[in-house]
Amino acid sequence: MKITRRDFAMAGAALAALGTLAGSAAAAGIQELKIGVVGVLSGPAAQWGLALKGAVEFVAAEANRDGLIKIDGAPCQVSVVAIDSKYTAEGGAAAANALAGQGVKFIIGAIGSPELTGVKPIAKRNSMLVLASSYAKDAIGPQWPLVFHVGPGPSGWADPIIKIAKQKFGMKSVVLVAPNDQGGTDIVPVEAEAYKKNGIAATEEYYQRGTTNFAPLVTRIMNEKPEAVDLASSPTGDAGILVKQLRQAGFEGPIGRLGGPGYSEISRVAGGDSVLKNFYWYEPIVVDEKAQMIADDYKKMMGADRPENNLFFQWAAGVRMVLKAIAKAGTITDTAKVAEALRSLPVTDPNIGTGHWIGQEFFGVNQELSFPFGVGLITDGQLQPITRVEAATGK
Amino acid sequence: MLISSQEAAPAGVLAAAASIAAIALAFVVPWSTENPAIYSLVDQILIAVTAAFSVFIMLRMNLMTFAVPTFMAIGAYTSALLGLRHGVTDVLILGACSFLVPMLFALPLGALVLRLSGVYFVLVTFVLTEITQLVLFETPGLTGGSNGLVGMPAVTLFGFELGDNKGVLLVTIGLALAGALITSAVTLGLHQHFAAIEENELLAQSLGLVVWHYKSFGFAVAAGVAGLAGFALANMLLTAHPTSFSPLSSVNYIAYVIIGGKGNMLGPVVGAILLVWAGDMFAFRGEYSQFLFGSLIVVAVLVAREGILGTLQRVLQPLISLDTRRPLHTASTIPTSTATESRP
Amino acid sequence: MEGIVATILIGVSLGAQYALLALGFTLIFGILGVVNFAHGGFYVLGGYLAYASMAFLGTPYLIAVILAALGTAALGYLFERFLLDRLVDDHLSTLMLTLGLYLMMSSSLLAVFGPQSPAFTFPLTGVLRWHGFFIPIENLVVLVVCLVGISSVYALIYRSDFGRALRALADDRAVATAQGLRPKLLFPAAFALATGLAGLTGALVTPILSLAPHVGDPVLATSFLIVILGGLGSIGGATAAAFIVGMVEAFSAVYLGGSKGALVLFVLVLLMLVVKPSGLFGQRVRGA
Repeated sequence: MKITRRDFAMAGAALAALGTLAGSAAAAGIQELKIGVVGVLSGPAAQWGLALKGAVEFVAAEANRDGLIKIDGAPCQVSVVAIDSKYTAEGGAAAANALAGQGVKFIIGAIGSPELTGVKPIAKRNSMLVLASSYAKDAIGPQWPLVFHVGPGPSGWADPIIKIAKQKFGMKSVVLVAPNDQGGTDIVPVEAEAYKKNGIAATEEYYQRGTTNFAPLVTRIMNEKPEAVDLASSPTGDAGILVKQLRQAGFEGPIGRLGGPGYSEISRVAGGDSVLKNFYWYEPIVVDEKAQMIADDYKKMMGADRPENNLFFQWAAGVRMVLKAIAKAGTITDTAKVAEALRSLPVTDPNIGTGHWIGQEFFGVNQELSFPFGVGLITDGQLQPITRVEAATGK
Repeated sequence: MLISSQEAAPAGVLAAAASIAAIALAFVVPWSTENPAIYSLVDQILIAVTAAFSVFIMLRMNLMTFAVPTFMAIGAYTSALLGLRHGVTDVLILGACSFLVPMLFALPLGALVLRLSGVYFVLVTFVLTEITQLVLFETPGLTGGSNGLVGMPAVTLFGFELGDNKGVLLVTIGLALAGALITSAVTLGLHQHFAAIEENELLAQSLGLVVWHYKSFGFAVAAGVAGLAGFALANMLLTAHPTSFSPLSSVNYIAYVIIGGKGNMLGPVVGAILLVWAGDMFAFRGEYSQFLFGSLIVVAVLVAREGILGTLQRVLQPLISLDTRRPLHTASTIPTSTATESRP
Repeated sequence: MEGIVATILIGVSLGAQYALLALGFTLIFGILGVVNFAHGGFYVLGGYLAYASMAFLGTPYLIAVILAALGTAALGYLFERFLLDRLVDDHLSTLMLTLGLYLMMSSSLLAVFGPQSPAFTFPLTGVLRWHGFFIPIENLVVLVVCLVGISSVYALIYRSDFGRALRALADDRAVATAQGLRPKLLFPAAFALATGLAGLTGALVTPILSLAPHVGDPVLATSFLIVILGGLGSIGGATAAAFIVGMVEAFSAVYLGGSKGALVLFVLVLLMLVVKPSGLFGQRVRGA
């Protein structure tokens, strides 16, 4: 009896081991560059991960079509392994470990701060190169030489957007609203600082993640009588309800959302542009004709529409940089050499434009990609064309 | 009924020994492979097993707890704070503290929640996990708030640093073993008392058993075992982070026990191995991972009512009885408590 | 003073929505003894059914709401009849089963409708304003429908034969069965009633808030709080507790902020249990 039971437990462990090994035993013939994707693919934040996954799959297909990666003259097939990190530190760590077990050397993601916290130590232990996007104050840094940031983060774009909004709406005070977890606390203090630097008084309000009805919070905000409200990194659904309920409560001032893309979803939930009325937001990308070509190519090659979330473009430009660096370094194993090549590459993308490496001032290391971005504006209920802003210099 | 419980004891001992042996067997891994994916999987399984033992202990008293993440958090933050603020790296001291501090928290909390029974207890422990999250967010000075605590020094054993993959796994195995030993000592040592409480608390009380003492003690030990799991988790991730202790993660620990089989200590081990492994495999399926995990739970519950282990025993019993000279009833007594529990 | 009245208005409309949700949750528990982890799932499903019937079938909103309530009730009926019923007395298994169902439901919605909120808004907009107070018309309509819903549930439970049968089953199943009531027929019906209520609430509330595959997650925690406070299985208790929770949530969020306010709410519930462990209106505790 004892033996049977123990055998059963052992069989489970052995099965588990086999399952993870099976992946690495594949691909023996032609050289293969495996790009790992660590992103949240399930749950409320799934759209971020799906945009990331779509971008990496697209850029990999593109590289294979063009024969971009050659190692010692021999073509190298790019493949993608995507793992759901479930927006938790242990999900990120497990995903990074699973990728390490498959011999993956390059990770694109994670997106959220908790996931990245889990990924970084594992990546360092296995000398993997990481291109991540969290807004955490310590997302990158000198102690993580192989971790790069697709960006910029709020430290890069908050100031230019606030300047435009101030010129347009002339507000003197703002209340910043965001969830009370890392998704909010990473970003709001940075933005509050940027508002204050521009002479706008800023106060911070945090709500419990998972709140569905914001009527009480809106009453609290109204009591503070701010001239503007910034929804920062509140998830798009929450931001939509907040806008609607603020307007219902009679708030007339401008509302900003300096946190990420998602204008169209906010407009849908709030009930249209006329409800948004005066609204300004960070748009990671100006989808002009050139950028639209990425979306068209995506449809041609992948046979489906691109993921709706606009971070898709930012990721595509970032992943292209990484693949260019790999091609330039001529190695798919030596990540230090690829990192060296990546740092020395000029920041440019045929569809998105040119930018810079920034981050020295904020993170202490110049490993943050800064591409041109956009500022969205709605004035008096009319959607304005997205203003293109030159890549932030981070100073 | 007490008689049947006494009969169940030897089978429980057997299962406890088997689960301890299964955990100890993990010591083979660090010396047989360098694959980080396998290390990670074994780490996750063992942490899951340890946390599931906490649920298992409470189930001995017919109480289902959702509070595991709460006590895991206390254990994790205790070890992280000791390492960061006080430079404590000795794994024995950290382990002891991550066991004892959650126990200390559990005593007053137990006075509050152990007066409840049945579904009340279930719901209140769920509320506790929600409170845990909010308390972490609202105390950034102590716990790092939403950012959690990062950058703990690597733990040491007798001066040797245990910072690499191998070291982390050794620490996890050690903590899981400690958790298993404590769990078996408590559940087997107090087997009769717990069984009496489980079957009929009022009757046990009227027969002179100071139910109150045993329940508090059981709750505190369950909290301590969860704390060990929390320490192991923080040590593996190099961070104590609020997302690791989310209210819904408690459901996983319960699932390990129920899917594996709640009749004896081997159940949580089997359940954790299956579900953690499946969860890792499903993560490759991206947006379908949750669906697959949900269907696995539904199928497992429908097909294996007494948990995988319990059902396996029932199915295999006739086969085994053919080639053993043992009388049948020894094996069949194991699920007695299960059977009585599920009466209407 | 204005602030207090405005906050009370918010508390009442929160309370009405919570009551409709918690009634279903507490009915299932009181009658079947099942803690339904999928309750939030039926709420979201109701929202999506209403959205889909408007967007793809072109029905008016009123019909969409009715279809949503009927659709979630039908799914609840099938779920109880064919899956849950076989395990109905095993509390741990039913908990796992409803949990697995919830994971499947929310991930299916994600796969079918995508992660982003669709355009699903309430047909009536506009805000009534009076001396500095305001109430959006949509909230008023939802409040009225919720109150009608709550009264109908009361009428059904306390004035109809069906309700009497359910209450008898909840009181003492053995005796009720011996007297000829048939759980096999009544349980799926009760479950359908409860999930239909959740679907109805979802169809009503998601257009004035937002609809996304995971907006059901918080429903569970709120329902938990309410049934703890109100006393498990008690219909009157759940209704009263829903309004208390709505009121406390409104006041604590307005005067303390969103995050601290939530903490206050949870701690209040915990402290209440010290004073009265069976909930405000609970009489006896059902064992699990």
